[in-house]
Amino acid sequence: MKNFCRLATLALALCVIATNAVAQAPATVLSNLVEGVGPMAGGTTSWAGLSELDLIPGSSLLGVKSTSAFLYIGFYGGNTVDIGNMVLYKTARNGTTVLSGKKVTLGGVSNPSINLTSTSVCPVQPVSIANPCIIKLDAVKGALSSLNDYYFTIFFTNDGNNASVLGIGNMSAQGSLSGYTVVGDETRIKTKGALPQGYVGGAPYFLMYVANQ
Amino acid sequence: MKTVCKFAVLTLTMLAVTVCGFAQDAKVTAALNLERGVTGPVTTNLNWAGYSALNLIPGAGLIPITSKTTAFYLGFTAGSTADIGNMVLYTTPRNSSTISAVTPVTYGGVSNPSINLASKTVCAVQPLSAGSPCIVRLDPLTLSLSALSDYYLVVYFTANDNNNSAVSATVGGNVISSLTGWYIGSDQTRLTVGQSIPAGSNGNRPNFLMYVMTN
Repeated sequence: MKNFCRLATLALALCVIATNAVAQAPATVLSNLVEGVGPMAGGTTSWAGLSELDLIPGSSLLGVKSTSAFLYIGFYGGNTVDIGNMVLYKTARNGTTVLSGKKVTLGGVSNPSINLTSTSVCPVQPVSIANPCIIKLDAVKGALSSLNDYYFTIFFTNDGNNASVLGIGNMSAQGSLSGYTVVGDETRIKTKGALPQGYVGGAPYFLMYVANQ
Repeated sequence: MKTVCKFAVLTLTMLAVTVCGFAQDAKVTAALNLERGVTGPVTTNLNWAGYSALNLIPGAGLIPITSKTTAFYLGFTAGSTADIGNMVLYTTPRNSSTISAVTPVTYGGVSNPSINLASKTVCAVQPLSAGSPCIVRLDPLTLSLSALSDYYLVVYFTANDNNNSAVSATVGGNVISSLTGWYIGSDQTRLTVGQSIPAGSNGNRPNFLMYVMTN
């Protein structure tokens, strides 16, 4: 009985150690959930009053397990970016009807102003095409499903700051991401509403990566 | 000591049960992509009577996920019934056109199914359209796709068939996919090992084939 007890205790200790090791494994490696964008080509200026919709296709998810998604957006010009709102729409695969929408935030708010001239935000100054500023947005809770498509939609307030903002994009090697631009605020579409037309599979201007951390 | 021992055994048992539970969860995970499938809104291609749709699934585009099964998903944007004459999967060495294996592909257990696109149990959202395509999952094959091979899914639509005249295929809306395809106006599903894949593959967007998944 004493030996059995010792064996049981040893097995328990080993089990706890092994379980902890396995549980920690997924969090240690940064992994792409879909293929991100390639070399940057430089985008267009003057985003005041415009929305960009970026498609994250479920059919391109790479099978990385993650309970949340992190979106990264890139800039190569401008001083302050005034974002009016950000949202992540879910649709059926290859569908255009919104099934649901989730707020996307930076620093806890969905309408942040980003100071691109601050070294705490963009460490390498000045921001340029050679030294783009990549902003990691707050985690979007919930796993992305290969049975759905997702549209990250960002609206830029119609103001003077946004007139000089430059999105990183229109890359020739765009990976699995694509996007399109629409005049007006497209971040307020309700469930069962239709996404705006205009998608032609072009490269995104702002969304660069979708990762597990 | 006896109490500690009892507690340890109980905890160990509970842990074993929990770990087994996690292990079983992992096995029943959702279907995963084996290739980058068709993305974004699709376009359409009408009238398939007498045509074969040939779709290339390149080994070079495989996402490194281990799976013993492979499931193909076909997309339809119009039609009431699709009368399929035959479906096969050809295997070739990578970037070769010589067929090294032929595998029957089935839907509902048969390789010449009639798919009732007007049924809500088949196509939940009616009517079919480019904005709401109907995605049909073929029977999963017990087949591990290899990065050393290419695969061609060929679907032949029965000729002189009014149903198929009204059938419309999803066509990939853009080129951000690993899947490509073309079509030929005859039955191309009867080729045998050693014969060549018919000419015409030029990297165009696939007709019908939307996704290649683990299940």
